[in-house]
Amino acid sequence: MQWGPVPEASLPPRPPAASPPSSSFVADVSRFLGGFRWAFMPLGLLALVAVGVHSAADTLDDRLVGLVDRADAAFDGLVGRSDFTAPMVEWVSLELRTRIARVLALTWELAADLVLALPALGYRETRAPVPAEAWRAALGNAPARPSWRALWTRCLRRPTPMRWLRPLATAAVALAGACAVARLIQGTVYLSWRELMGDGAADVLARGLAVGALVGVMGTLGWRAVLRNLQHADEACEAQGGKGAFRRGWLGCAVVVPLAVAAVVDASPVLSFLR
Amino acid sequence: MFPSRAKGLLDFCMAALCLWAAYHHTPAGALVRGAVAWATGTRSTARPLLAYYDGVSGTSVSEPLLAPAVPLARPLTDAEALAWGTHLALKGLEPRARQPALTLATELGVSSTALLDAGEGPAAARKLHEALAADFPGEEARLAALFAGRVPARYALERVRAQGDAPTLEQLAQQLPPGFEGASVGAAQAQALATAFGLAWPVHEGARVTSPFGERIHPVLGTKKLHTGVDLGVPIGTEVVAVAEGVVRRASEDAVNGRVLVLDHGRGVTTAYCHNSELVVAVGQRVTRGQLVARSGNTGRSTGPHLHYQLELAARPMDPLKFRSSVRTVARDAP
Repeated sequence: MQWGPVPEASLPPRPPAASPPSSSFVADVSRFLGGFRWAFMPLGLLALVAVGVHSAADTLDDRLVGLVDRADAAFDGLVGRSDFTAPMVEWVSLELRTRIARVLALTWELAADLVLALPALGYRETRAPVPAEAWRAALGNAPARPSWRALWTRCLRRPTPMRWLRPLATAAVALAGACAVARLIQGTVYLSWRELMGDGAADVLARGLAVGALVGVMGTLGWRAVLRNLQHADEACEAQGGKGAFRRGWLGCAVVVPLAVAAVVDASPVLSFLR
Repeated sequence: MFPSRAKGLLDFCMAALCLWAAYHHTPAGALVRGAVAWATGTRSTARPLLAYYDGVSGTSVSEPLLAPAVPLARPLTDAEALAWGTHLALKGLEPRARQPALTLATELGVSSTALLDAGEGPAAARKLHEALAADFPGEEARLAALFAGRVPARYALERVRAQGDAPTLEQLAQQLPPGFEGASVGAAQAQALATAFGLAWPVHEGARVTSPFGERIHPVLGTKKLHTGVDLGVPIGTEVVAVAEGVVRRASEDAVNGRVLVLDHGRGVTTAYCHNSELVVAVGQRVTRGQLVARSGNTGRSTGPHLHYQLELAARPMDPLKFRSSVRTVARDAP
């Protein structure tokens, strides 16, 4: 083997030199903040999902009261058959039933947070492959990099409840979360700036910011939350393999699917920001 | 797999917005706030965890509901009931939460002192309602305007209309930004109290109250217990009617309450009818005011034919007689 200078033609094209740093203050700030993406992006994703999950859970507590009522009626009927257990009928008052329903709603929400929001903390961004390492690819020993295409193929060829339901549920709660954030912004901006700017201007600004927040949150965080959950579900299913992958995560899916339905049906008034 | 980006201003702003919303408006955020307060040795400003599901018709955590101190001299019209509810709810609110209402009263030329006065309060509250009626013809929007202020209420009303929902107090309160929680609770309490004042009586007016609401020695158990309703001495088979329109939330039988019916009238008001001989409605059925719902009896833990009638506001038992105009003769010989 002969060692020597490698002919230039066989090297990959050189990457263009980095553009000179912009003098714009905003660009500088943006670049500075970009250095902290590892911290605020996972937290932002977690927060978005948590807000969406709460919006959905908040619409379910009245239905839970009805369920607790029925369960209590059945319990009372059961314990009321014997004189010995009859005093247990008085254990659960209406106030306690309402409290139980809210405890259930809280538990449900926190469980959904664990299932949908916690994986967001594993969000990592990777640098694009550096051209200097292209020789590895030429030698054929480059480490296989996971790709979205491969992940999508696995979803289609080896579908599991976890691979499909978790990302879809995340999409639903992310949308509900974005709507909740937009609503908070619209109300806060309109009511606090109305006296300063006048009614009309504050209304236009509040609506504009609300729509901007809705689009911005979905455009920066929403899709990432969905894909991160898909990534997490895929990793879990791959680790299990075979039929185990199909059985994996049923409980979590059962927890989040009703919330996802509530998020879409009751907690995502997207069009209201445009009316 | 997620490509790294060099810039981050927009992403940072959106992440910060979501963190702000989660920190202040979710139970998970409340847990974090509690932990931060514990770690720094300060007092957490987060609401209790269950309060995040209260809506506005549920249990309020800090403000106890009030009933009139003295029995009403005559039956109230709907407008008077609303005024009484408003006055009582305002009295029960924390000073900060009642501030928008007092400011509005001053703007409209109604004495804010009179609004909280036991004698003049209902009349002052009625004046406020009349002054707001032109801008807010709907009762729930008017209550929102009275407790939160006209501008926030108008904003909330427009948002609810944009969503295509009915302008209920719960929907209106959801549109208001942070800082209006107390006002929303006050409006909901006023509405619940006003609804309670407008309730009919479940049996004929002449029915004797054989055991009133309050602490008593239980006639069967012999122990001191809170009697959470009133016992009305009526013969078996007496018609029991719904005191207001609502939905049957429970129709069941057990050894203590006998055949029991619970009606949910919305607005945080629930009524229960116990010891019946027959229930004529089923769970989930919608009933109208005055509709026959049961026939009284002597089932369950009962020492004689009677109807146990219970009124609950925001899931708390209240004395139904406090919301009636005429005072019945009370016999202490409980059935």
